[in-house]
Amino acid sequence: MFKLNLTIAWRNLWKNKGYTLINILGLSIGMASCILIFIFIRYQMSFDEGFKNEDRIFRVVTDWKYNAYDDFSAGVPVPFSAAARNEIAGFEKVGSILKRGGVISVKDAAGKEKLKSREAVYYAQPDFFDVFSDIKWIYSAPELALSKPNSAVLTEKYAVRFFGSVKSAIGRTITVGDKTNLLIAGIIEDLPQNSSFPLGIVISYETYAGRFNENWDSVNSSTSSYVLLKDGLSAEDLQASLTRFNHKYYPIQKIAGNQTNRLQPLRDIHFSEKYDNFADSSINKSELYGLAVIGLFLIITACINFINLTTAQSVNRAKEVGVRKVMGGKRKQLVSQFLIETFVVSLVALLIACVITELAIPPMQNLFKGTIEFSLFAHPVIFIFMTILVIFVSFLAGFYPAIIISKFNPALAIKNIISLNNGGLSLRKILVVVQFSITVILIIGTLVIIKQMQYVQEKSLGFNPNAVAMVGIPTDSLSKIKYNTFRERILSIPGVKEMSFCQSPPLSSNINSSDFTYNGIKNEDFELRNMRADENFFKVFDLKLIAGKIFRKSDTANACVVNETFLKKMHILNPQDAIGKVISASGNNVPISGVVKDFNDQSLRAHISGLAIFPGNDQYWNVAIKMDAAQLVVSMKEIETVWNTNFPNGIFDSGFVDQSIINYYESEQIMGTLFKVFAGVIIFISFIGLFGLISFVATQRTKEVAIRKVLGASTLELVKMLNGSFLIMVFIANLVAWPLAYLFVSKWLSGFAYRIDISIWPFAFAMVISMAITLITVSIRSYKAAVTNTIDALKYE
Amino acid sequence: MIDLKNIEKYYASKGIKHYVLRHVTTTIKQGEFVSIMGPSGAGKSTLLNILGMLEEPTYGTYEFMGEDVTSLNERKRIELYRNHIGFVFQAYHLIDEMTVYENIEAPLLYKKIGGSERKSRIADLLDRFNIVAKKDLFPNQLSGGQQQLVGIARALAAQPSIILADEPTGNLQSAQAEEIMQLFQKLNKEEGITIIQVTHSEKNAGYGNRILHIADGVVKDDVAVSNNVKI
Repeated sequence: MFKLNLTIAWRNLWKNKGYTLINILGLSIGMASCILIFIFIRYQMSFDEGFKNEDRIFRVVTDWKYNAYDDFSAGVPVPFSAAARNEIAGFEKVGSILKRGGVISVKDAAGKEKLKSREAVYYAQPDFFDVFSDIKWIYSAPELALSKPNSAVLTEKYAVRFFGSVKSAIGRTITVGDKTNLLIAGIIEDLPQNSSFPLGIVISYETYAGRFNENWDSVNSSTSSYVLLKDGLSAEDLQASLTRFNHKYYPIQKIAGNQTNRLQPLRDIHFSEKYDNFADSSINKSELYGLAVIGLFLIITACINFINLTTAQSVNRAKEVGVRKVMGGKRKQLVSQFLIETFVVSLVALLIACVITELAIPPMQNLFKGTIEFSLFAHPVIFIFMTILVIFVSFLAGFYPAIIISKFNPALAIKNIISLNNGGLSLRKILVVVQFSITVILIIGTLVIIKQMQYVQEKSLGFNPNAVAMVGIPTDSLSKIKYNTFRERILSIPGVKEMSFCQSPPLSSNINSSDFTYNGIKNEDFELRNMRADENFFKVFDLKLIAGKIFRKSDTANACVVNETFLKKMHILNPQDAIGKVISASGNNVPISGVVKDFNDQSLRAHISGLAIFPGNDQYWNVAIKMDAAQLVVSMKEIETVWNTNFPNGIFDSGFVDQSIINYYESEQIMGTLFKVFAGVIIFISFIGLFGLISFVATQRTKEVAIRKVLGASTLELVKMLNGSFLIMVFIANLVAWPLAYLFVSKWLSGFAYRIDISIWPFAFAMVISMAITLITVSIRSYKAAVTNTIDALKYE
Repeated sequence: MIDLKNIEKYYASKGIKHYVLRHVTTTIKQGEFVSIMGPSGAGKSTLLNILGMLEEPTYGTYEFMGEDVTSLNERKRIELYRNHIGFVFQAYHLIDEMTVYENIEAPLLYKKIGGSERKSRIADLLDRFNIVAKKDLFPNQLSGGQQQLVGIARALAAQPSIILADEPTGNLQSAQAEEIMQLFQKLNKEEGITIIQVTHSEKNAGYGNRILHIADGVVKDDVAVSNNVKI
């Protein structure tokens, strides 16, 4: 019986090739999108999974609470780990780990330098590997390898890269910075891609120069501490001792609870917005949910196609149903027969979906700049997902048509006078409206995202980032001496217009902020952003002063320039009033010399901060070089040469400011691309569904069309008649979609402090697009129906 | 009014021509009531379809009201449908989704006749055919004879000069058939409408004034009928 049903299913599908093609095409594209989304979400959810004690592993983070503002850091003060190890009884192990950048040089056996590159290095205590005891050691053990100063551990990958093989790496030496030689004392396995701490070069904590720092006030977000709780304890059990700990080390200085440490579960690290991580790979969970919803939308849209086409066609199966019933077929058997048919279709669609997925994976990896590897067959969960998908689709798409078809009255069905109700509010019409509402929402979403991204890229930021390169400079005292000659040499390069020593470009997420006093009064409302730059900074970035003047050339802070927002936040109406007033912040006690016009100092997601720019060459990490745009390439080459001769021990590292600004919107750009792709997919699915429906309607109404034709209807009038109801449905779908789309886009836009106003045009445009495509899709088929030979339809029945 | 010269129609299949009509040459004048008769498969319906421009002859010329319509463009053919030709079908071919009133109205809408004129014409037709009470019913709520009355009313709505009827009474009982035939005769006599019908029944053919006998695609006989059926 089952085999027979399969054969019949196959024959039926083959007989209606056109509709079957539409069904399978729609379903397979929908499924492929779902599988891709699933692979992506699974990858993101898998971060830091698989540690034996993952429920007991926590990262310690630091929170601040100011009157007007909260701050968060993924780091802890340097003395934290030692103190916590002694004082918090619930911690079984506490492991400090720091991430820093460093120039690594590797010499070959003959002592000749063979490799020099800038790498991330981690300073870790052996205890870190006791917390993460699942990380396998290929050679040596944490205590042995990481207890002494000047020793380091490499991952397999790095060992191979530096020395050719794991074996030959052991006992060799690498150099970090200029003079610190490190003995390779251990080798660990490579960490998976989906790790929040992608270790590579791990140096013993005892080598870290800042390890004796006793300052509880200073927190670097790359100084982390991971803890393992004692067996059987949970985070709540430790709350009391942690509170006691906080009280002891962070006495109420400014306001209550100013600085505190708290525990963050290991598996939350990847999804936390407030705290960054070593891998710089965090993703918001709501983004994942958003993607899941889009995936669901896609599969629903494809299923709607299936339901619509199948119920529409069911009339053609009426006779079969009638005969089967007369022969004694039970309704249950009929339902299962039609479900099997749907299952066959879904299965074929799944196979095609796998092919599409395989083809789509490389571009998807591209979207994430190749940093993530996806694979269809890597994980058994993906197969489980596919199985569930097929069953889900079979039922969602097959159940309603099966019920409808099996319900036919055999007496009427055999005489072939079954007709589906064409008038009224049939489920089919509702489904089409639902489908197109989803489509229109996605179109509107896509348009708004594109518009906002365009706005973000084109908005005047208050400074000119074009043709400015940021070049890193060494900060050791030897190099500092050479700063002046370096400047002179750079300025003599043709095409270079100006140069400034600074900490970072005007727009940067690299924020140094502190509390401050203004005119002797301590401020408790906001943190002042401290920027370090010399007097040429203003000229390089075309920053305009609205009052006072720039500070004089100096190696140390002698005065500062504040911005307009600072004045606003301090309620100073006349900029002139601020000139000469003394600001005291992060150790500098200097007068205000000028007020700079506001510029965006962070991405457009955030408002402009109140900030002050100080000179001070102890914190210049970069030079900003303004060039003639026409000579960019040539000048950059020259700059590199000059740089290398000036700082022979360093590594040249440069980037363009305008590019770095665009990079701040990477996640939005990925989101935009995804929306474009999925909107395209959903438009395609919806419209092939529509084409299928109009084909069916046209076939059903052939007789009517023929009659009208002999009554004198012109082709145009007939096309209009056939199109009418579809246009109305799509129009209603637009009306349904608008409020929902409005909610969605305004929610998304609210993540930007600087954003476009939601105007009518994306809505109107989505309507025009959807109506136009509907008109074209439907007209192609209805025109064909209107010009077919009349007489064939009017032959006797 | 109608001038057929050497009309031929065949279907070629695998190089063999299957003739449906051969050498049909005839003239039908304004005001005639012609019945086309013959056995099944003789080519009666094909001839009527060619007359109605629903099919094109393979060969020969066809002049309708002095104009060669053998290969007429779509726009002109629609013009003729709107203004000169009314069709009546054996299976009625009313539009199921529309009421009696709306069915009759359809050709007038295509002819772009104004609302009040339309109303009065439909009212007049409903009245003449005694179906006023049925104007809001759907076709499937009517008997076959009533449906055919609506079909004829629809054909007349545009005030055509010729009615082409393909076995108009084929699906009807004899009493109803008689009624329809009398109606045709009346339209022909009183309003001078040219009627061409395909029929199997000698009796129905008797209502007209000329019979074309067709067999194997050839006109075998063309006889005038002395009108002896009483109106």
